[in-house]
Amino acid sequence: MSTSAIVVMVASIIALWGVAILALVYSMRQEDRKLVLLQEQGDFEPFSPAAQRDIEDWIRRHPEGQDADEMRELLDAQQRSLQRNSRQFYLWPDA
Amino acid sequence: MTTTIAREQWGSRFGYLMAVIGAMVGAGNIWRMPYVTGENGGGAFLIAYFVLLYLIAVPGLMGETSLGRYTRQGLIGTFRRIYGNNRLVGLGLVILIFNIVLMSYYSSIVGWSIYYAYHALIGTFTQTAFDTAALWQSFSQNTALNVGMHSIAMLMVTGILLFGIKGGIERLAKWMMPTLTVALIAIAIRGLTLPGALAGLEFSFSPNWEYLARGETWLAALGQALFSTGLGWGIALTYGSYLGRNDDIPLGGGVFTAIGNTSFGLLAVFAVFPIVFAFGISPTSGPELAFVALASAFGSMTGGYVWALLFFMGFFFANLTTALAITEVGVTTYREERKTPRTRAVLAICGLIWLLGIPSAMNADILGYLDFVLGNWGLPLATFIIMVTIGWKFDANRLRVLSLNRGADLYVPSIWEATVRYQIPLIMLGIMAYFLYSNLGDAPLKTVSGLVVLTLMIPLCMAIMGRYEERQATGKVVGGQVS
Repeated sequence: MSTSAIVVMVASIIALWGVAILALVYSMRQEDRKLVLLQEQGDFEPFSPAAQRDIEDWIRRHPEGQDADEMRELLDAQQRSLQRNSRQFYLWPDA
Repeated sequence: MTTTIAREQWGSRFGYLMAVIGAMVGAGNIWRMPYVTGENGGGAFLIAYFVLLYLIAVPGLMGETSLGRYTRQGLIGTFRRIYGNNRLVGLGLVILIFNIVLMSYYSSIVGWSIYYAYHALIGTFTQTAFDTAALWQSFSQNTALNVGMHSIAMLMVTGILLFGIKGGIERLAKWMMPTLTVALIAIAIRGLTLPGALAGLEFSFSPNWEYLARGETWLAALGQALFSTGLGWGIALTYGSYLGRNDDIPLGGGVFTAIGNTSFGLLAVFAVFPIVFAFGISPTSGPELAFVALASAFGSMTGGYVWALLFFMGFFFANLTTALAITEVGVTTYREERKTPRTRAVLAICGLIWLLGIPSAMNADILGYLDFVLGNWGLPLATFIIMVTIGWKFDANRLRVLSLNRGADLYVPSIWEATVRYQIPLIMLGIMAYFLYSNLGDAPLKTVSGLVVLTLMIPLCMAIMGRYEERQATGKVVGGQVS
């Protein structure tokens, strides 16, 4: 086999099988962490710090209407969970 | 507005991931991907494919899955929730019809794989001087046998779907997909030890960089990336509707689904092409590759019985898990719309598909025609409708904030919104226009007739759903007065 074909083959293996296996293993481990938190404290915060900032930003930009109420409910649930639970799922800067 | 009915959920993360990957990995991964890769510049094609996978398939699947998880409804329920009780719900019906038509002829392909898995099991291919071309020809020409295999395929799909999402699809995918992986790895190892096998890898991976500058390479990569991942057909939406509120979508439903699906394509390259080249078979794609060339090669190999059995059982598993997913789109929607028990919905949808699939089972030209119309315009149109719905009507920004990043293992930034709003719909329009341009000269009758049917279908479905929604609303008012 030519060197270029070998390089492409190895790169494809890493880019496809490597990424797929990594995604599978990481996803399963994260799910296990979620299950432990659910068993130990009943729930966990559903949004990461970046995702929470997106909700806050969205509410600032669209403060009125049904959609804003839905976003506020989510943000409230997130904050209640953060206050109630000692262990968090996501990494928080001040934790 | 429709209320969300109590619904089942996936039993485990592994089960969902295997079910969704099973939905995407089908015949195309095994009999098309290796050939298309080799024909379009090998490594150059893989680069184009990889770029498009990340630019289109991964973000598109994330959007479709998160919409399903948000609405927790099937196709029509989702469209009703977004567009309100009006005729635009008919757009959901259009996609549903595409799914049913797709499954009506895909079940014939499942039937072929059952037939070949059976022959592998009884050791047909290892008989002395067995002619696989003659078997394929006699099978193709036997109408009753084809209808019978189509019926068996639909009976299997019905039986499995009766057990539900968790007890049927998930339970099966959890062992079928790992088995398919092991089977393909074993065949690849065996194939690579054959003399001359490396020529197959050279054909597939040798990079021909000038292909990267050709439009055809990118179009082939786009076609493979879209049709192989089943983006925008309602499958990811339906499977996503059975996810829990805090389940991850970006990593599992997006990255793993798209990359994992392509990984099976790569595995097929390793499993198929070394054998093809070792036996001096002309590289090709489609049924002849699997049912004639490979069947013949397995028969000539030491331990051929095992390799043929592994390959054809794996091929059958890949097709069956895809068939379950396509059919489930209809089952979930029918169950919700008619408010019937799952059993009745499964029997109704599978019965309808079985009936509609008989012409395709009897005549390969009908199967080819349906595949031509759906593949060229129907499925890109379905993807276009779903992506425009997510990007513009629902609002991609709102979906990302509300659903996509909820419980996510991977944060999706705002650039995703532009992909769903502009990139994917424009590419879909481009694909449809290109296919129209390229097919009009070669197959004018098929092209025009297919386009006429599709063009008429949209207003027709919108009119049907408009009347249906009106009747539902009137029925509710009258019911209210009576009570």
